[in-house]
Amino acid sequence: MSDLAMTERADAPPDTLDGLIKGTGDGYKYGFVTDIEADEAPPGLDEGTVRFISAKKGEPAWLLEWRLKAFHRWQRMAPPDWAKLNIAPIDYQASTYYSAPKANSGPKSLDEVDPELLKTYEKLGIPLGERAALAGVAVDAVFDSVSVATTYKDKLADLGIIFCSFGEAVREHPDLVRRYLGSVVPQGDNFFAALNSAVFSDGSFVYVPPGVRCPMELSTYFRINAAKSGQFERTLLIADKGAYVSYLEGCTAPQRDENQLHAAVVELVALEDAEIKYATVQNWYPGDENGKGGIYNFVTKRGACRGDRAKISWAQVETGSAITWKYPSCLLEGDGSVGAFYSVAITNNLQQADTGTKMIHIGRDTSSTIISKGISAGRGQNTYRGQVKVMPRAEGARNYTQCDSLLIGKKCGAHTVPYIEVRHPSAKVEHEATTSKISEDQMFYCQQRGLTQEDALSLIVNGFCKEVLKELPMEFAVEAQKLLAVSLEGSVG
Amino acid sequence: MTNLLEIRDLRARIVGGRDILKGIDLDVAPGEVHAIMGPNGAGKSTLSSVLAGKPGYEVTGGSILYQGRDLLALPADERAREGVFLAFQYPVEIPGVNNMYFLRAALNAGRRQRGVPELDAAQFLKAVRDKLKLLDISDDLLRRAVNVGFSGGEKKRNEIFQMAMLEPKLAILDETDSGLDIDALRVVSDGVNRLRDPNRAIVLITHYQRLLDYIVPDHVHVLSDGRIVASGDKTFAAELERTGYAHLGSAA
Amino acid sequence: MLITQESASYQDAVPPGGQPPWLARHRAAGMARFAAEGYPKRSQEAWRFTDLRPLTASVFPPAPPDPVAVDAATVAPHRLPCPSHRLVLVNGRFAPALSDIGVLPEGVWLGSVTDALRERPDLVAASLAEGEASLAALNAALFADGFVLAVEAGVTLEAPVEVIHYADMGAPAAAHVRNRMVVGAGGRATVIETSTGVGAGWLNTVTVVTVATGGALRHVQLQRDAAEAIHTSVVRGDLAGDARYESFSLMAGGRLSRRDIQVNLGGPGASVALNGAYLLRGSQEATFAPVVTHAAPHCRTDEVVKGVMQDRAHGVFLGTVRVHPGADGTDARQLNRNLLLSPTAWVDTKPELEILADDVKCSHGATVGSLDEASLFYLQARGIDPATARLMLVEAFAADVIDGAGLDEPIRDHVHGHLRSWLDGLEGGR
Repeated sequence: MSDLAMTERADAPPDTLDGLIKGTGDGYKYGFVTDIEADEAPPGLDEGTVRFISAKKGEPAWLLEWRLKAFHRWQRMAPPDWAKLNIAPIDYQASTYYSAPKANSGPKSLDEVDPELLKTYEKLGIPLGERAALAGVAVDAVFDSVSVATTYKDKLADLGIIFCSFGEAVREHPDLVRRYLGSVVPQGDNFFAALNSAVFSDGSFVYVPPGVRCPMELSTYFRINAAKSGQFERTLLIADKGAYVSYLEGCTAPQRDENQLHAAVVELVALEDAEIKYATVQNWYPGDENGKGGIYNFVTKRGACRGDRAKISWAQVETGSAITWKYPSCLLEGDGSVGAFYSVAITNNLQQADTGTKMIHIGRDTSSTIISKGISAGRGQNTYRGQVKVMPRAEGARNYTQCDSLLIGKKCGAHTVPYIEVRHPSAKVEHEATTSKISEDQMFYCQQRGLTQEDALSLIVNGFCKEVLKELPMEFAVEAQKLLAVSLEGSVG
Repeated sequence: MTNLLEIRDLRARIVGGRDILKGIDLDVAPGEVHAIMGPNGAGKSTLSSVLAGKPGYEVTGGSILYQGRDLLALPADERAREGVFLAFQYPVEIPGVNNMYFLRAALNAGRRQRGVPELDAAQFLKAVRDKLKLLDISDDLLRRAVNVGFSGGEKKRNEIFQMAMLEPKLAILDETDSGLDIDALRVVSDGVNRLRDPNRAIVLITHYQRLLDYIVPDHVHVLSDGRIVASGDKTFAAELERTGYAHLGSAA
Repeated sequence: MLITQESASYQDAVPPGGQPPWLARHRAAGMARFAAEGYPKRSQEAWRFTDLRPLTASVFPPAPPDPVAVDAATVAPHRLPCPSHRLVLVNGRFAPALSDIGVLPEGVWLGSVTDALRERPDLVAASLAEGEASLAALNAALFADGFVLAVEAGVTLEAPVEVIHYADMGAPAAAHVRNRMVVGAGGRATVIETSTGVGAGWLNTVTVVTVATGGALRHVQLQRDAAEAIHTSVVRGDLAGDARYESFSLMAGGRLSRRDIQVNLGGPGASVALNGAYLLRGSQEATFAPVVTHAAPHCRTDEVVKGVMQDRAHGVFLGTVRVHPGADGTDARQLNRNLLLSPTAWVDTKPELEILADDVKCSHGATVGSLDEASLFYLQARGIDPATARLMLVEAFAADVIDGAGLDEPIRDHVHGHLRSWLDGLEGGR
């Protein structure tokens, strides 16, 4: 790989502590940049980049081959154009595909984590140290491309639960990784999934053994820090027979003028009687009020209910990103398996979101629930796109879908594009959707009781999203409520 | 005694429409209860909307002084925090927003404005318990979303309960009696009577004399075609019951 | 191959008296466009659910200009049970002997496209547009005839206009029909179209509708084509302020059918009702695709469409409501409900909202299910045999949308009659 002339360099000179935090603007409080020495691949993507990443991570040959196969597929693919998104052409050769905090082979424990990084996570409100212990949440933190710290590992290990970075899983649990990697989201599933399969850097790996109920929330925080870098994490979560796990992820990124690409893949596998709850609060930098900068969030998330009576539930609060393209889905393969999707998506200023879910009913007596709340403000464009498919064998399938859109202001848009495809007569599928503007009567009622316009709006919007927010774990729900208010700043008045 | 509220030659309309209020004059002093009666379409609800600052109305002339300040210059929420309370004729449903949460947010918004410390959850709960005794409201109602799924009577009781909690200086009750059966009317009236206070003025807006059997006003005014055409003391209401509004309207 | 075949036959469409140069231009442009685009493809979003192979797999030369033995007796069973102004088109061409236009009030023009080309070419010209897509472009190139209705401002046409499209094409053949309806300010009219016949023909129609300020047009389309027939149709409607267009579509014939209804609410206060039902069995394939654009404030859309699928039938609903910026006060409701009666029947539904204004009230709903077991049991417990009980429930499901369409009595009964005759053909019929 050395012949490919990859260089290691430290980006940007170190600075005083004060200088570490650069202009964050008013609205987005996670817009700071952490100055940290980074290991980076030079911008651009070719076979050499893929080999570089694999070598950096000391991967086995089979994984390199897997990546290369994905890369060659990706080269023949085109970005999807069916979403209601206005995306400037992306120069995939301008992005950096690997950026890691320079701490050599990664920290063994929290004590080894760069204090600068710990400060960053403190600032993000993510407890990595003692606070994690208090909160009872096990955290894996992914900084740019690399997992920097995983807490609570030992305690989880006693129960046989594996919770580690993806890279570590490849080293320590290669059989599990090999067995499940790409089994839910195949390499060629879509353009961005193929790209991720070729260049994914790190992410989280979870395995919960049969019959084990994970006693704490598992959590990953993702942070894009380096300039011009993309983030391509890969998460694989397996709940073995009768296991239970609840997983949370949160995302932030610095405020930068150029767009940055985030193309993650998340695969969930729930075996017989297993249950997985997966919650996301996505607050990547959305760009400024003129649409400059912001993250392109092109994510493939899919869960397979492989066994009978398995359950997978997705809950998401999407407030960030310039563009969101994301459809967390459930393959309901096992008989009696259950899928759920709860979503709040806000677009303000020039944000665009095309998000929703797919519920594929394959087994008998499978059921799914979709609750989607879209809020459009400013010049934001918000699309719910969902598919409910009942396959010929899915006798007794049930789906209920409710998707509501709230409009705030004259220049935004709200779109609803449901696909309902039913191949079995015993299926019962119901879809309801409404779109309306924020109620002036409700606003006045709140104001008459003394609430300011902003507080009234925040209250009404939170009420509108209630059915989704209650699906989030408590700490997340509180954070999400605040985010909703922040995201809508300046949208009335 | 200085007036709490002074309305002078108030003219107002729905934006783009014709004047509905055509010159209202009204003085309200602290501790007084005023009843404003009149036929449908006289402008009663327009008056309450203008006092509370509801969007969609425009004042085309006249003035309103509240505690000596120009009330019309204040946005609706600031009026509320300054002690103007409107009990809505049709209380609005707000799905997903817990009744208690809503009330605490409103109460603390007012306290912040007055520079009084905000109530924490425990203090708030204690205050709620005290006031609950005033009105026959079940805990269950408090746990539900604001006015969602409430019966007509429950909504009206919830309005008076909010009034009790927010302790306004000027309470405007817009057709609070409409849609109530006799038992509910008694409960609501008892609640309002207990909230009578030397420092608080109450303006009752009603179509029917019935309410005034339970809440006895100090002054009664007849509003007709956008003007107050007659005023009197509490006996005036009973007189109106006999004679009707018609002769007053034409006399104006 | 196929395209050349159609190009070659394109001269056949020229009426005996020749055609004006503007029409020739439109025909040439239509043919060029179709030659470039070809048939719709499943890769196109609007066609992803529709299996067009029955159409694309065969060659459909123009239907013979002199239709075979179709006489008054052939057409009689399909006539309305009430007085009407009747036009009959056989294989896409006006058949004067079978028609009875009757006496028209002052200010109404009704007749064939061929006659309109002589007397009112402006009406025909307005039915052609630049940039028509695929099948409509082919129609522009090849249409041989059609009907034209023009109602002047303030005129009410009391009796309904009745148009019967009868197809009798032994071998695969195509009839391209172009229709034009225009209702002036405050004018009123009702048009009932019925398509039926025998054989494996392809009827490809384009109908262009304009309703001026305050006018109202009621348009009923009863599609009872032969079991082997193919029927594709596009209705394009443009409504001015306070105009109203009420459309009811029954799709219950043909092996492959597709109905696109595109309505533009172009003036304040315009309203559209788009109701209908698709009743499918055997291996029928039907797509109902209504698209409403709210381009002006305070317009209203009411849409209820129901589907019943039996055997291996496949129903598709593609409903779109678009609200343009500034179209405040929009009120739009869209509902699609489907009933699957057999293990191999299937349905795809996509009720879509695209909203770019904020002061709107829009809702849509879609359901798919089978007959309610509790209702079936209730009927049986009252002594009704299962087969009859099923038919009763299916009829109730579909009848509801007919009753809700606001049709006048003789026409409503006539539509109910079509529903009942379809039910008679169901497995275990009455």
